Amino acid sequence: MSIIELSGISKVYRTKEIETTALENVNLQVNKGEFVSIMGPSGCGKSTLLNIIGLLDKATTGTVTLLGNQPQGWSDAALSHFRNENLGFVFQSFHLIPSLNVAANVELPLTYRSGMTAAQRRQRVEQVLERLEMSHRLKHLPTQLSGGQCQRVAIARAIVGAPSIILADEPTGNLDSKMGAEVMALLHRLNEEDGTTIVMVTHNEAQAQETDRIIRFFDGRIIS
Amino acid sequence: MKTKLIQILYDMRHQPVIAWVTFIATALSIFLIMVVVMMQQVGITPFAPESCRDRLLLGAYLHLTDIGDNQGDSSAGLTFHSARILYSDLEGVERVSYFCIYKDDSDVKGQQSDAFAVQSRKVDAEFFNIFDHPLVAGRYFTPDEANSLLPVAVITESTARRALGDTEWAGAKILIDQKDYTVVGVVNDNSTLATTASGDVFLPIADSDPSVQWDEYLGAISAALLVKEGVDFQSVRDQVKARYATLDTELAPKGQKTVYHEAPFDQETIASGLHGSNTTPDKNSGRNMRLAIYAILLIVPAINLSSMLHSRMHRRISEIGVRRAFGCTRSRIIADIISENFIVTLIGGIVGVTLGVIFASTYSGLYENMDNFGRGDTPAINAIVNWTTILTAIGICFLLNIISASIPAWQASRLNPVNAINSK
Repeated sequence: MSIIELSGISKVYRTKEIETTALENVNLQVNKGEFVSIMGPSGCGKSTLLNIIGLLDKATTGTVTLLGNQPQGWSDAALSHFRNENLGFVFQSFHLIPSLNVAANVELPLTYRSGMTAAQRRQRVEQVLERLEMSHRLKHLPTQLSGGQCQRVAIARAIVGAPSIILADEPTGNLDSKMGAEVMALLHRLNEEDGTTIVMVTHNEAQAQETDRIIRFFDGRIIS
Repeated sequence: MKTKLIQILYDMRHQPVIAWVTFIATALSIFLIMVVVMMQQVGITPFAPESCRDRLLLGAYLHLTDIGDNQGDSSAGLTFHSARILYSDLEGVERVSYFCIYKDDSDVKGQQSDAFAVQSRKVDAEFFNIFDHPLVAGRYFTPDEANSLLPVAVITESTARRALGDTEWAGAKILIDQKDYTVVGVVNDNSTLATTASGDVFLPIADSDPSVQWDEYLGAISAALLVKEGVDFQSVRDQVKARYATLDTELAPKGQKTVYHEAPFDQETIASGLHGSNTTPDKNSGRNMRLAIYAILLIVPAINLSSMLHSRMHRRISEIGVRRAFGCTRSRIIADIISENFIVTLIGGIVGVTLGVIFASTYSGLYENMDNFGRGDTPAINAIVNWTTILTAIGICFLLNIISASIPAWQASRLNPVNAINSK
């Protein structure tokens, strides 16, 4: 059963002088529980595709279907709500909020969710951090963590709301090979244990090979 | 709330110049505005001896004009005769006092002192029932004593101490403007900022006193009206306006008529200084001018604070993108930025108000235009700090915050999440 379905997606960036095509007639289906990696050279449109799937950007043409919903034309509030409930993001540069400690960073998505008390949020954060073996760093600031620990916290933030889909944009790009392997192991664990669908952009062929499927991109088009 | 405080502290550590300049600029802005507010409060807020300001109306002047070809105008205070026609036995008025519109510079000499200058005011016995002059010793003079113009006086404590030393004050003899008087009562000292009711020495006034009555209608008498609780000032004014017609009937054979100027005046009109013996006070222009002053005092710092906030937000663009990715709506971004900024404004506001209170309660130069007679009185704290000032301060903080934070918050909310996340 496909959880992500892209049909005829194109993305064109227009300025007064120039028109750049980032994606051209992309068709893609990702099944529930699948771990898919997207590969391709820099600037080929991988991140643009991830942003469109993540409802952070809009396609110029084509249809996105996520969990059976077609969010084209949704209001900002509806899109935000959908992202909060169903999508988790992991970024290459972690993007933890520097003023907040680990617990508060992980709690962030839950603060935008209605119907959860502070105690429930705290409990959920502690559960997730314990699962990711980061509960001893609860009160630490991001600057007090290693790169690998930062990415663990970022993954904790991505999964704290129990999303159906995790979108990871080069999650190991800023890590050394050992830490990168740890993060990959963690993503595989989440995929296997929770059945979370993961779409990951990567430049690392070996890591891509570990995933269920590799989608190769070139000049805004899927080539294999 | 906790997260917002953490963010504020973080900014103070990591962007100290912008954070502190924002904080200090906010405090100074609120300080400036609150000094203006407090100066106006001194003119309006009830405080002893004018504890009744919210129920006080003042019938101070009469303006007469000639009927027919003569174009003469005359205006001044009232006489007992004209004051009683206009202000006695009005419905909804609890008490009326007739007293001299101005204070005199007088000399006082007691058994223990050389002559020294004081401000004396001629008042009737009812004056002490309207205005709050608590007795320290003795009693107020009686209506009979006042009506008979007996040489009795009520003086303030500091006047008594200076003139009479530690001897028995009540019943003591003093010279006021070289005339013998008996001190019947000693009252608390009062502030010259209470422009209607202040004085160092209070002497009796009566119908038979020619020094305060130039002719049958014009003189130096004012009527202080203590309006009953809950009675609308306008209903009293309407009655007074009708009384002007009565006065006109009396004046007609003399070839004169009155010109009505919205008398009697409330405390806001008295404090605004917009009233005069022959002018109609324009409250709206006074209010508009005050609003214009507040607007300038608000908008100028708000523009400055807005650019500071813009700089602060510039370093948090990536964070805004991440928040948007995880489900924060545009409106929540706006609300979060405005509420976070409100905390900064409120903390700055508390400092600003504190500075304002210290300044307004210690620097007498602020009140030189308030009939201060160069005595340098400053208001008591309770005259400038009350619920009105506190609510005004909070309101101004809120307005300053809204004006300064709205545009940066709106801009932050419109950021493209992808561009925001990828910004450095």
